[in-house]
Amino acid sequence: MPAIFPSEEWLEGLEEKLNSDARYAEIARNWEGDLLFLIEPAGNLKELLTFYLDLWHGTCRKVDFNPRPEKYPKPVFTLTASYDNIAAILSGKLNPMTAMMTSKLKVKGSLGYMMRNVPTVLDFVRVAQEVTTEIF
Amino acid sequence: MSMQPILKIDLTTGQTEEYRVPEKWEKDFLGGASLAARMLYSTLTRDLDPLSPEAPLLFLTGPMTGTSGPTTGRFVICGKGPATGLWAESNIGGFWGPELRMTGHDGLWITGKASEPVYLWLDGNQLEVRSAAHLWGQDTYATQEAVKEAVGEKSARVCVIGPAGERQVLFASIMCDHGRMAGRTCMGAVMGSKNLKAVAVHGTQEIPVFDLAQYKLLRSESNRKLREDNEAKVLREVGTAGAANYSEYLGGLPAKYYTQGSFPNIDEVSGAKMTDTILVGRSACQGCVIACGRVVKLPKDLAKRKGPEHETMVGFGANLLNENLESIVDLGELCDQYGMDTISTSNTIGLAFHLFEKEIVTLADTGGTILRWGDVDVIKQLIHMIGKREGIGDLLAMGSRKFAAHFGVEEEAVQVNGLEVAYHDPRGVSGMALSYATSPRGACHNQSDYFFVDWGHSHEEVGIEFIERHAQAEKAANVARHQDWRTVDNAIVMCIFANVETEEKVKLINAACGLNWSMADLMKFGERSWNLRRAINNRMGLTRANDKLPKALLEPFPDGGSAGFVPDIQGMLAAYYQHRGWDPETGKPSHAKLLELDLEDVAQDLWG
Repeated sequence: MPAIFPSEEWLEGLEEKLNSDARYAEIARNWEGDLLFLIEPAGNLKELLTFYLDLWHGTCRKVDFNPRPEKYPKPVFTLTASYDNIAAILSGKLNPMTAMMTSKLKVKGSLGYMMRNVPTVLDFVRVAQEVTTEIF
Repeated sequence: MSMQPILKIDLTTGQTEEYRVPEKWEKDFLGGASLAARMLYSTLTRDLDPLSPEAPLLFLTGPMTGTSGPTTGRFVICGKGPATGLWAESNIGGFWGPELRMTGHDGLWITGKASEPVYLWLDGNQLEVRSAAHLWGQDTYATQEAVKEAVGEKSARVCVIGPAGERQVLFASIMCDHGRMAGRTCMGAVMGSKNLKAVAVHGTQEIPVFDLAQYKLLRSESNRKLREDNEAKVLREVGTAGAANYSEYLGGLPAKYYTQGSFPNIDEVSGAKMTDTILVGRSACQGCVIACGRVVKLPKDLAKRKGPEHETMVGFGANLLNENLESIVDLGELCDQYGMDTISTSNTIGLAFHLFEKEIVTLADTGGTILRWGDVDVIKQLIHMIGKREGIGDLLAMGSRKFAAHFGVEEEAVQVNGLEVAYHDPRGVSGMALSYATSPRGACHNQSDYFFVDWGHSHEEVGIEFIERHAQAEKAANVARHQDWRTVDNAIVMCIFANVETEEKVKLINAACGLNWSMADLMKFGERSWNLRRAINNRMGLTRANDKLPKALLEPFPDGGSAGFVPDIQGMLAAYYQHRGWDPETGKPSHAKLLELDLEDVAQDLWG
């Protein structure tokens, strides 16, 4: 269900969309890895915000809104970016590959795995953009 | 500025001379390929035979070579290209360049021809010309070991040619430090034409840096950031071939000699596959914190080998429809042993397969060998035949342009001005169309690795924006700026894989050279050097007609990541010329542009 970013409803909408989008299911069918997003304060965001998503073979098995990072000590990927850069990606103003290649989005985890699965990464971003009605 | 002298060596007479670069040139051209172009400007004429004794072979470092700055262990080798007849430069890593600077010299300027095979041994300020008669015919690896043993200095570094350079194969390379290769533009044949088998260097002097205290602070911070950089992490983890999957997804990865729009089994011949299966270590050039070099072991023995980088992986993989990763290691190693550029070798072999399929090359031409796509034994056989210049290998050794011309189909060769196209297809990443068509040394991907920009890597601080990968003329100015920007790296000499912010780069240059550059100064420097090399080529006969793409790259694919797209090269060139201030009739930089770039003597030469 589309919703305003960032919100718990938005994350739940993303989970729903990831589990119902046939294109994502096909492209991400081999993806195995959970993601912990650390969104650093900037612009309208005044303190650290976190999202957790457990993605597995084209589905989303679990989401968690704003958990303490210690709750997920060993995610496959930890993705860190400022709120402004995340907002720019979601609004389509910043290409996600540009964000990665210019380190506006910092990646902890296997970059090799990420590069091998660029179509999945890009389609994940497409789905996230589609569930975003507005950015706070 | 703090440049050391260049050692000039005439192999015909044995005479040597220390050459001091004029201070203005040092300031305006810094080092590497830019300074080399300024130094060789008057020497490189249309009539000069690049394989004659008169032809120069210039080994030149940059002001940051060997300073442990971010990825600055590199140097360049320059001259006139035997296959192109144009400006030639080849960029190489390893440890040889830093070692040369420790002898108290920033370059070796070699002319003449020895009466018999020789190698040079430069130990500090002492130069010996020694017989290499016993080394002639040996491969690159054996030669390095033999020379090291002969000079008796364990820390000596050795540049060598293999049998291909001796036999003047028109894509012969120069190797140093086990498997580091100056692959492009055939400098190995120039070295071979001089009867020069190897150059060993050893030094103990401090490498000069203008403001060492400041430089140390800056390099420490740069290297720290580089260790954490996403791109550097990719390169360390999966090597330069790590982006093969992404490239294939975008339709930028050539397959079946640029005639197939996709290569579905790319997972089998990628950097990621190598990491998962045969990788046992990584190797780095001097001072590099990335370590993109691959060390692999194959099941057939316990030997540690050099693993393929992107170009070798694609050239002997998707380009020839070969899905056997281990064979690509072998094929790359074989090219290295002969001393041959893997891009040009695999490209030219791909052309042979392509023409065989079209029944232009026949069994009579191949001596009865069927050139079947993906047949590793045949590929191996052809590499041997090229290296030995036997049978059809003698024709292939002339490079793709001459090979195709021999069969009356020059347009079938995927090359620009005699240099084979690298493995980044402009149908997937359109900026490469201009990169290839306007590069000063033929179809080169290192003068402007614009595919990175088309993949998403922008540099807004110097006006290099991310423009949609299938944009056309609207990205012409962006490509030109990227060429200027990248030219700086080939001058100082920094690896193109170092993702160092431009502002940081400016500070490093200022500290190393005692300059006070801004980012605008850096870009003007790049533009000056780009135009100087253009002018060198104009003087050697290059015109606008040389700025083109081969036929294959202008034919759309029905499927794959670039389906239906071809670059509008004429439209792109028109916009590019306008941005560059080049004369659309002659292809020369305009008189006004040359004056704007402080190239008065060049303006006088080109325009009177």
